[in-house]
Amino acid sequence: MKRYYCLLIVFSLFTGRAAAQVGAPYIHDPSTIAECDGKYYTFGTGGGGLISDDGWSWHGGAERPGGGAAPDVMKIGDRYLVIYGATGGGLGGGHNGRILTMWNRTLDPKSPDFRYTTAIEVAASDGLEDCDAIDPCLLLDPTTGRLWASFGTYFGNIRLIELDPKTGERVRGNQEKDIAIDCEATDLIYRDGWYYLLGTHGTCCDGVNSTYNIIVGRSRSVEGPYVDNVGRDMLNGGGRMVITAGDRVCGPGHFGRTVIDEGVEVMSCHYEADFDQGGRSVLGLRPLLWKNGWPEAGDRFHGGTFAILSERRGYSLELAVDFVRIQHERQGWRRVNPDEPVKPVADQQLADVAGNWPQGDIKVRCSDYMMRPHQLWTITPVPEAGGFLGGPYCKIVIAGTERALAATDDLELTAVPAFTGAPEQLWRVEQATDGTFRIMPKQIPGREGINTTYVLYSAADSTPTLAKWDFASDNAKWRLKLK
Amino acid sequence: MMKRYCLLLIFSSLFISRATAQNPIIRDQFTADPTARVFNNKVYLFPSHDILVPEGARKDWFCMADYHVFSSENLTEWTDHGVIVSQEDVPWGNPTGYSMWAPDCVEKGGKYYFYFPNGPKGGRGFAIGVATADLPEGPYRLEEKPIVGVSGIDPCVLVDNDGQAYIYWSGMGIRGAKLKDNMKELDGELQEVKMQRREGAPEMPPMKVGGQQMEGLPDGFKEGPYVFHRGDWYYLTFPWVRQEGGTETLAYAMSHSPLGPWDFKGIIMAEHANRCWTNHHSLLEYRGQWYLFYHHNDFSPRDDKRRSARIEKIGFNTDGTIQEVKPTLRGVGILPATSRVEVDRYSDASNGVTYAYNDTANTFLGWHATLPGKGSWLRFADVDFSAITDGYVIAKVKAEGNTEVIINAKGDKKKGKEIARLKVAVSGAQGPFRRSTRGQWLTLTAPLTNVPNGVADVEVLCGDSALSVDWLQFKNRQQYFTPVDKKATAAQPDDRGFIRRWRLMEPQKQDIRSNTIFTDSWLRETFAKELAKLPKQKAKWYSMESPTYNMKLFHFAEKYGSQAYGNLFWCETVVNCAEEISDIRLAAGSNGASMWWLNGEEVLLLEGDRRMVVDDGVSKRLTLKKGRNTLRGAVINGPGLSDMCIRFIDEQGKPVKGYDIEN
Repeated sequence: MKRYYCLLIVFSLFTGRAAAQVGAPYIHDPSTIAECDGKYYTFGTGGGGLISDDGWSWHGGAERPGGGAAPDVMKIGDRYLVIYGATGGGLGGGHNGRILTMWNRTLDPKSPDFRYTTAIEVAASDGLEDCDAIDPCLLLDPTTGRLWASFGTYFGNIRLIELDPKTGERVRGNQEKDIAIDCEATDLIYRDGWYYLLGTHGTCCDGVNSTYNIIVGRSRSVEGPYVDNVGRDMLNGGGRMVITAGDRVCGPGHFGRTVIDEGVEVMSCHYEADFDQGGRSVLGLRPLLWKNGWPEAGDRFHGGTFAILSERRGYSLELAVDFVRIQHERQGWRRVNPDEPVKPVADQQLADVAGNWPQGDIKVRCSDYMMRPHQLWTITPVPEAGGFLGGPYCKIVIAGTERALAATDDLELTAVPAFTGAPEQLWRVEQATDGTFRIMPKQIPGREGINTTYVLYSAADSTPTLAKWDFASDNAKWRLKLK
Repeated sequence: MMKRYCLLLIFSSLFISRATAQNPIIRDQFTADPTARVFNNKVYLFPSHDILVPEGARKDWFCMADYHVFSSENLTEWTDHGVIVSQEDVPWGNPTGYSMWAPDCVEKGGKYYFYFPNGPKGGRGFAIGVATADLPEGPYRLEEKPIVGVSGIDPCVLVDNDGQAYIYWSGMGIRGAKLKDNMKELDGELQEVKMQRREGAPEMPPMKVGGQQMEGLPDGFKEGPYVFHRGDWYYLTFPWVRQEGGTETLAYAMSHSPLGPWDFKGIIMAEHANRCWTNHHSLLEYRGQWYLFYHHNDFSPRDDKRRSARIEKIGFNTDGTIQEVKPTLRGVGILPATSRVEVDRYSDASNGVTYAYNDTANTFLGWHATLPGKGSWLRFADVDFSAITDGYVIAKVKAEGNTEVIINAKGDKKKGKEIARLKVAVSGAQGPFRRSTRGQWLTLTAPLTNVPNGVADVEVLCGDSALSVDWLQFKNRQQYFTPVDKKATAAQPDDRGFIRRWRLMEPQKQDIRSNTIFTDSWLRETFAKELAKLPKQKAKWYSMESPTYNMKLFHFAEKYGSQAYGNLFWCETVVNCAEEISDIRLAAGSNGASMWWLNGEEVLLLEGDRRMVVDDGVSKRLTLKKGRNTLRGAVINGPGLSDMCIRFIDEQGKPVKGYDIEN
């Protein structure tokens, strides 16, 4: 309820700027990201939605009729099922909410197959009961094949219903079940024997002062009870934080989970306000981490200067150049004079060693991390090079130089003298669900298309290579350690 | 046989359909030729099961592949017990004949005998099979052969008072015969009958036919005999085409003997007005009332071979003759107000009121009624309001212009009395959520201003402009509080330690548009000001008990406040301790901000934009003194669902419970 007092104002502005959304990720309550013919789609409150070719750059143009609040979309078989609330939760006609579903063969409005089926009602609130049927989401239970939807807002309870995955209709005889209070824009997900209910808590639609945040409870049964980390049922207001304000954005709401590969997941949401985009409500994509069975948003990856340490052994990725000793006055530990003042030892500087490095390509290997210039890598986003779901491609260069990490046509690695922007020098850096990183070249020389298979990989403790992503193996994972 | 049993079990899963006191009675599939029987004080319905014609079968013909059985105890709610016999399972039947026409089922000696026509394997015409079961729902065991000497359709079995059973069927006119005690064979000689040879067809061997022609029936096409015994009379009832080129009526004849001769009496039901060609029926007495079960093509307007069962009340004259019945939409049964009242099945209506399918592509979605304008009305008889106390109505309506739905209830002989009025606003101010709702189905609610006593007719009256109504439904408001009697004994905290009994002051209206103003200093200033006013407040206090752990203040405001949103709530309770309890904390959750005082001392402030979360904040460690402790709270909220939950917890976070709650 609270949200919609202000929503009216916010969305009158949005409507006026419909054209200005092109090329910009402006959205509220984005549905779970859906993929269709190589493009990504998300639908928002009020109608319409965003499209992205690469998952990084988003623009308006997705089409969803029916208006209303907070839709969700899911591919089932070869069709897309869209679920939405036809109303706005308290605005214009009280709490008589309706949840509808409709199908489409494609999400691409330009496709000749693009045609929504007639929307059918699957749930409603009568206006006086403790529920307002808006903000629906979908879960196709991978263990049973059964299709569930939760819906509701602050006006009473969050409810669970079952749908028929073949028709999108309500399962005959299915009774609504209350599963949470005091949240809205919920989402249901399943992982590893647990069902998770993610709710949006706080207040939206107040720009940079919106307190929206996403909380979670979990249950062994899809029908609940959904309980938080200290044992509180979400029906009692319980919930563990998944994402809150931080990094110049605030008010995350309307969770969606996208599994990219085993162990690599992304969460979608909107931020009520992006401080860097004039405080507008924008699409947010973040790595989704799993800690002790709880989902948690990872940080946006901005790059920086790091040691790249293998998860296999903890050795650092380095240029295959001569190790250069740091000369200093040694004081053997048996002869330490405690009265003598200590003198810090300076770091080895790039200038101290770079002159001895070869001019051409330099091989890359792994070895003991010693904080040396040939082991320090600066990772910088290259936004003009495009991106992937959740982030831009990066260049990875030896700190203080333009010497760039590159993939070779024999699936090995090299460090070229200067970054040229070539696709084999661009890297997709993603945080895996356990907090480690997957580092993947955009393209492999001599191979067609964008690489989504081969990653930086420990062939041996000292030998990095490129090999297929395998979340089960520490050979495929890396840690980024600030110097 | 084992395999067949398993199949039957799989198909026997139950489907409870919702209450439908209206015609047709089964609303998710076709149900023709309804034979209804009373077994064990329940009505069992054995219809034939029309289906859409599958690929390869004759397109313009009847098509039935199996039988379901349904049961009901009130003629309004029907349980589908699933498939009992399927054409693939009949040992002698054509597995793709789709000829499972009108059946019957009777009980004798604790066993249930199901009779059904079917096309024989490799043969022509129809034979009649038997299947037996220990329960009306099955599972049914199929006989290996059809009944010898019966060639035809539409079996009907009468078990007379003396235990003698008779079978009637349609084939070369209407025939009847005694059944042997085993219920599976005809009693008596079979005649050899030479088949009439169709022109050009080869000579057929003579057929053995049992029983006798029923004498005394009128000329014209007859089928579907249904024979029953009432008082001194046997009744032979049957569909009958009385005019050349006409369609079927339901007609009857009477006799003092089960096999006639019969005295033709006339019509039970005239031809269907829409020229649905067939009709087929049964009659039964249930709880002192006689009913006629019959069919009509309600869900298949363009194809009268997909039919649906209906029921009407039927009466007898003192001389035993049957009173003619007119088909109705309303049907029979008293409908609970809490189920959907499909007003498109109205009992009667003013001129110009019409009904139409909700979706012509899926007729099973039912109908809606359209009232053309001011002054038009419809009436739906016999809705039971006895479960409604503090009620509201839900209506599914659509309109092209702003109008109203006025709902009256009409008891015996009384004039209709308005019980609710719903505004249908379809045009006006618009926005991203507020679009024009012209011509769209809307679910609207309104509280009942009067609650009818017991059973009443519901009248729907049209406001200023035309209106379509799909259904109405009545519900009770949820009970959020129980007023506490002054003499009530003390309460205790609940299992989890929550205090559910509070004195609540009538909500104090506050002009709060957003909860973001709830800063510490604003709250302190506001609460201090309001606290100072408290001794002089003349506002009313309510002593209330909540059925849940939390006090749903929003609903308290809905009922006792001047507005639902934007309120300050004062809450008080007395905690009476037999002994001092120390080192405990007050734990609170509130929607929105709140402040709490124990024995006049501030112990907790929940500031900012809050939702109610159990144990959201706690006081510092404190002591409840021996005897009475006053706990006071103020909850303030703008646009939100005001709520609070309060308990005391110990060092480990466990609830503290050993005290009385008095107020």
